[in-house]
Amino acid sequence: MLRIAQKEELQKMIDGFLADYEVIGPRELPGKGIFYQPITNAQDLYLGERFAIEPVKKFFFRPSEYLFEGGLKEGSEFLEGIPLAQNKRMIIGVRPCEARGLALLDKIFNTEYKDEAYVSLREKTILVGLSCQAPGKDCFCTSIGGSPVQARGMDALIFSAGSKYVIEIITDKGKDIFDTCPKEPDKEEIKAWESLKEKSNAALRKKIKIPESLDNIFESGYWGKVSSACISCGVCTYLCPTCHCFDLVDEERKKLRCYDGCAFSDFTLEASGGNPRPTKMERYRQRVFHKFDYFKKNFGEHLCVGCGRCIRHCPVKMNIAEIVDQAPV
Amino acid sequence: MNSLYLPHLAQITGIKQETQDIKTFKLALLDLSAGSFFNYRPGQFVEFSVIGEGEAPFCLSNSPTRMPKGSIECSVKKIGKLTQALHDLDIGDRVGIRGPYGNGFPVEQLKNKNLLFIAGGIGLAPLRSLINYCLDKRTEFKGITILNGARTPKDLVYQDEYEHWRKAKDTQLHLTVDCQEENWACMVGVVPKILETLAPTCEDSVAILCGPPVMIKYTLPVLLKLGFCETAIITTMEMKMKCGLGKCGRCNIGPLYICKDGPVFNYAQVKNFIH
Ligand SMILES: Cc1cc2nc3c(=O)[nH]c(=O)nc-3n(C[C@H](O)[C@H](O)[C@H](O)COP(=O)(O)OP(=O)(O)OC[C@H]3O[C@@H](n4cnc5c(N)ncnc54)[C@H](O)[C@@H]3O)c2cc1C
Ligand code: SF4
Ligand code: FES
Repeated sequence: MLRIAQKEELQKMIDGFLADYEVIGPRELPGKGIFYQPITNAQDLYLGERFAIEPVKKFFFRPSEYLFEGGLKEGSEFLEGIPLAQNKRMIIGVRPCEARGLALLDKIFNTEYKDEAYVSLREKTILVGLSCQAPGKDCFCTSIGGSPVQARGMDALIFSAGSKYVIEIITDKGKDIFDTCPKEPDKEEIKAWESLKEKSNAALRKKIKIPESLDNIFESGYWGKVSSACISCGVCTYLCPTCHCFDLVDEERKKLRCYDGCAFSDFTLEASGGNPRPTKMERYRQRVFHKFDYFKKNFGEHLCVGCGRCIRHCPVKMNIAEIVDQAPV
Repeated sequence: MNSLYLPHLAQITGIKQETQDIKTFKLALLDLSAGSFFNYRPGQFVEFSVIGEGEAPFCLSNSPTRMPKGSIECSVKKIGKLTQALHDLDIGDRVGIRGPYGNGFPVEQLKNKNLLFIAGGIGLAPLRSLINYCLDKRTEFKGITILNGARTPKDLVYQDEYEHWRKAKDTQLHLTVDCQEENWACMVGVVPKILETLAPTCEDSVAILCGPPVMIKYTLPVLLKLGFCETAIITTMEMKMKCGLGKCGRCNIGPLYICKDGPVFNYAQVKNFIH
């Protein structure tokens, strides 16, 4: 279902959403870059082509959050869960790769064993995406099942078309919020939208090939070679829209869950002092295998959305796309 | 609230000093309505916590057939922060329990088979659960052979149960230690060597082993030489864990998550990952 609105009209709608929702979107922070943050006014939103540095995952899978409290109260032990977030949220301007990242995280957190903190944030949040018309040089979403105009994981997806926005409505939630926007695009406008999509897809230049399986190169010397530059800083794992490894940490009376990552040497360090992944070779290999082999075996698709963040922000210019593309299978 | 990681409160009802650094805790859940919790299988584990100190996985070390409803046993070797905190607890103290997690032993596959249990050190903990289970349902299984090793006689766990095991019908217990000590009447030698001399039959048999990585590493080739096929060798695997639920991402060996797909595997499933 399609809708079309003048840019000012969409701004007015967003200002209307602010009355009912906590609205979050990309903002330009001078000297820092683009960051997803709550907005108080539609004018705060940055709906240009530059990407947010951190992925939107942090609004669902929190970098750190308390899970429960426990300890002594009136002389006897107690355990109490932390209440789940209640307010309705809307995130506007999410990129297709990041929304797809959430659909992948659902496969981990929204299973038979529901992570209620994550699931309730997902359920309370409406996602309105923004298509990419000028993909970055490190983006490779089309090689891994995505595209700059894909709507998977979103409630609605907007496309910037000159002085207007075309709004593709995906779910009932999306339909509800754009109720106030009755105008449908005419034939000409639909045609223009379709060629815009083609152009966006064509603008994505980086193509990689991903081997069917990495099984027979687990023992290859390749992993030692490609991981030699890595400094195990973990930036790639924190900025990845699909990395979901975490630690559970006890504070005096509270249980904290916080991001962790396979790049760190203590991630698998056992009490005995043994470590099945003692060097960055084993750790980097785990990262690549988890994303491009194991997850596919377990969940039918790769655990990567091709956003290129780990490539753009790696301090030593590691390039996972090229490493996978050139894997000596 | 996010109840997935929220433990149930349990009370320590018994503590037994097994060896210098291993204690067995008997625990009773305070909330008996904690439902499914009580229906655990041998080979499953729990996340056991001391609030404010930490949480770690421990296998349920006694058979569900021997525990009153809502009670469990865990044997804990003192090795780090949380295990030290656990060893400092007394009867009556409260702890947290999450679980039961993991797949457990494939009991159906073991029925009408000769069972060869091979344990090293604290590795006897998960096997004890299965051994007692099998002894309680003795007619469902054929011959039972237990080979249990430890560094010294003082490091042998569950010593007060050996008599009972020895006396059970068609059941043999072999004890061995790495270092000879005074008054030691049983065998001396590492587990794989003793296994070689015992040479138990592979016919209609399943071997179930648990112990330190070196024991596993050198015992596997002996079992294969004795003629055990890869799927008739069952072992438990260990990796550092946090969530126990297949989410925190640290316990995989290849595509298998030890917490969720394991901790019990047959050799065919994991042979590419044991080095
Ligand atoms: C499925 C399974 C069953 C186990 N059963 C038993 C048992 O019956 N008896 C027993 O004594 N030990 C058992 N262990 C090992 C036990 O979990 C570790 O010895 C324990 O985690 C050490 O915790 P710590 O805080 O004292 O050590 P620290 O070095 O302070 O470790 C900090 C934390 O890291 C994690 N961790 C560290 N080492 C391990 C490890 N080897 N395995 C899992 N998590 C780890 C734990 O969350 C631990 O609290 C089992 C491990 C697994 C995976
Ligand atoms: S960001 Fe780069 S250097 Fe840092 S852990 Fe990832 S690959 Fe290694
Ligand atoms: S312990 Fe968290 S994934 Fe297995």
